[in-house]
Amino acid sequence: MKIPIGIRDLCENPTEILNRYEDSGVKVIGFTCSYVPEELIISAGLQPYRITNIGANTSALTPSFVCPFASATLENIIKHEDFFSGFIVAHTCDPMWRLYDILKKKIGKPLFLLRVPHNTDNELSLDFFRMELMRFKKFLEKNFETRIDHSALFSSIELCNESRDLLKSIYVLNSGGEYKINAFDRFHLVLASMWMPKPEINTQIKALNFNNGETYGDVRLHLNGTAIYDLVLLKTIEESGGFAASDDLCTGSRYFWSNVEKSEDPISALSNRYLKRTPCPSHAPLEQRLEYINFMIEEFKVQGVLTFAEGFCDPILYDSVHIRNMLAKKGIPTMVIDYENPAQEIGRIKTRVEAFIESISG
Amino acid sequence: MSLQRKKSRVLQTTKKIGELIMAYFSQTSDAKAQGKPVAWVTVFTPVELLYAMDVYPIAPEHFGAMCSARGFILDYLQEAEREGYSQNLCSYSRCSLGYVLSGTSGLMPPPDILVTFRNSCDVYVKWWQSLHMHLGTPLFVGETPYVLTSEDLDNYVLDYVVKQLEQLVEMAEEKFGSRLDMEKLADIVRLSDKASELWLETLKLRRFRPCPLGGRDSASDIFPLVVMQGTTEAVEFYEELLEEVKQKVNMGEGVLENERFRLLFDGIWLWHAFDLIKYFEDRGAVFVYEPYSDAWAYRLDASKPLESIARKILAMGLNVDIDIRTERFSESIEEFQIDGAVLFSNRSCKTWSTPQLVTADILNKNFNVPYLLFEADMADPRQYAEAQIKNRIDAFLEVLGER
Ligand code: SF4
Ligand code: SF4
Repeated sequence: MKIPIGIRDLCENPTEILNRYEDSGVKVIGFTCSYVPEELIISAGLQPYRITNIGANTSALTPSFVCPFASATLENIIKHEDFFSGFIVAHTCDPMWRLYDILKKKIGKPLFLLRVPHNTDNELSLDFFRMELMRFKKFLEKNFETRIDHSALFSSIELCNESRDLLKSIYVLNSGGEYKINAFDRFHLVLASMWMPKPEINTQIKALNFNNGETYGDVRLHLNGTAIYDLVLLKTIEESGGFAASDDLCTGSRYFWSNVEKSEDPISALSNRYLKRTPCPSHAPLEQRLEYINFMIEEFKVQGVLTFAEGFCDPILYDSVHIRNMLAKKGIPTMVIDYENPAQEIGRIKTRVEAFIESISG
Repeated sequence: MSLQRKKSRVLQTTKKIGELIMAYFSQTSDAKAQGKPVAWVTVFTPVELLYAMDVYPIAPEHFGAMCSARGFILDYLQEAEREGYSQNLCSYSRCSLGYVLSGTSGLMPPPDILVTFRNSCDVYVKWWQSLHMHLGTPLFVGETPYVLTSEDLDNYVLDYVVKQLEQLVEMAEEKFGSRLDMEKLADIVRLSDKASELWLETLKLRRFRPCPLGGRDSASDIFPLVVMQGTTEAVEFYEELLEEVKQKVNMGEGVLENERFRLLFDGIWLWHAFDLIKYFEDRGAVFVYEPYSDAWAYRLDASKPLESIARKILAMGLNVDIDIRTERFSESIEEFQIDGAVLFSNRSCKTWSTPQLVTADILNKNFNVPYLLFEADMADPRQYAEAQIKNRIDAFLEVLGER
């Protein structure tokens, strides 16, 4: 498959598109986390844009022992504040929560903290999250002098569902042991969906041709982690003879796996979709997450699980013990590779990826 | 710098804490032996509710602090690390995970239920899940959303927490066959409120010069408020403490004979290096205010026990918006006449440490309070560069001395 050159460039430099938005006068809302329903932002006539750690160093405002991903994201928000009309931060893990504290003191743009319950498998949490989404809606309406009506919300839900359907349909091409699209390319499309206007990326995806007979590494891996924007990491796997057949990243399958159901009450439907999807490592219940990983392993005929962990990422560092213990019982090998700055540590990362892949292929 | 000649003094009441802790552990072990359920809880959980249902709470965080203070934490930390828990994870959590992995035999009887409300940190969720994975014990994870404005203590946020408390009661009733006796709960809430009231009153007396209660006292004396809220023992302890502190104030006696600097301490104490407080005291510096000490007290209304408890676990120190937190900081500067702030950037506690530089900046810019920020770990002695930290303390106190 040939990824259009525009998408390749965008993934190398995701802030580039902000100039385009600025020129065209579109108001952009920066958000940090896949628990933020883009549907609401779109229905307010605003452009959602997921903020990354790409192109930033860790912020001098946080201690050195805090997740470098969160710290670099903070740096990017402050650096690019002028391009945005507002920011949405979600309370997931400690650093992301505290990012809100720091931003409140450091930026001038409207800022919203979405409180995502950590116990997601609970009716009370669904009700609470619904109320949070109502508060979010009011925040958008008040700050951007707009009204979000049901029909706008229904059509943005439809648009985002279409986007998720497209991404999922590509993803499942690799199920059952197939090799149809490599992870490096696949990730380009997912990431671009978080930065480009949805109608535009949807059209581009529909025009792609997926069967061009490329060959990839043949050791099939499942990639575990939180968010990965740095596609060099994906490249490393493929250059070492591996193939990330599946993943449970929030920049991967967790972003699009499930859809918003049609309902009379769109806010409830959103609350359902976002809380009931496979939980982020920072949330409960862990069993549900382990189940999802298990499912992925079976569905995509995976031989090993590789965890890419931001140094100091508590959620992943706890979970990796249980993932390893669970998979050891099934005879599936696991490896955790942690890093603070992938670009600088790529040599070491590659050596470890190679060793892991070699140990599987024997 | 002239060193404080006279030995620093710790309150007589504080010296009783060790005994109280031991009595508490043996009471819990006895309860367990009698077949009563034991809950492992994070420290800002509704212990009042558990006591009212005859469930005995034990706090692994407190256990971690104690193991660190008494110098036997390393074995547990290393046991957890051998299992794969990274050294970058909260050392309290590594301590209790190591305790579990090495057989759960010691001061903490094994739990019959694991209860946490995510309020201090998100680590709680991952830590309690991990305990659950190793022990297989039933788990209750409650959510206490970040309090953004004081309205959250009355609106759907409060409702959400109250309903989760009811769920917890249901779960305990179902698992242990115990019933929640509302009258008993009201009595316990009254006792818990009394202990908080006494503690808050005692802390206020630190505004006097010389300060009658220092950092070593406040760090130890919070223990009954951590896991013994709602007990008569806790109330008696705080009555005695308040009495002693009042007497000291009346006699014009302070922790230090020659009080030169009044300091704010932000963070959890370094349990393995508790003497660091004495190091300050020896140089004429006394701690007069800590957000940490404040955090444990919360006034309750016995006529609305569930709502009160819900508010309390919502509004604990770190779970309220940064503006509310900095306001409290700011008030304390005048109230306690603070000369300088010591901020402990704690490797274990990302939730506390992450916004610390921003708060320090506010202290400095708005109130002209100089600060010292140093990095270490509250419980893991391997993350502590003693000589270097002491040098920085010397330099900091020198700066204060020149003002
Ligand atoms: S990588 Fe981990 S610690 Fe960092 S923001 Fe994501 S979940 Fe939080
Ligand atoms: S020390 Fe911090 S991270 Fe550890 S349990 Fe306490 S609040 Fe949570």
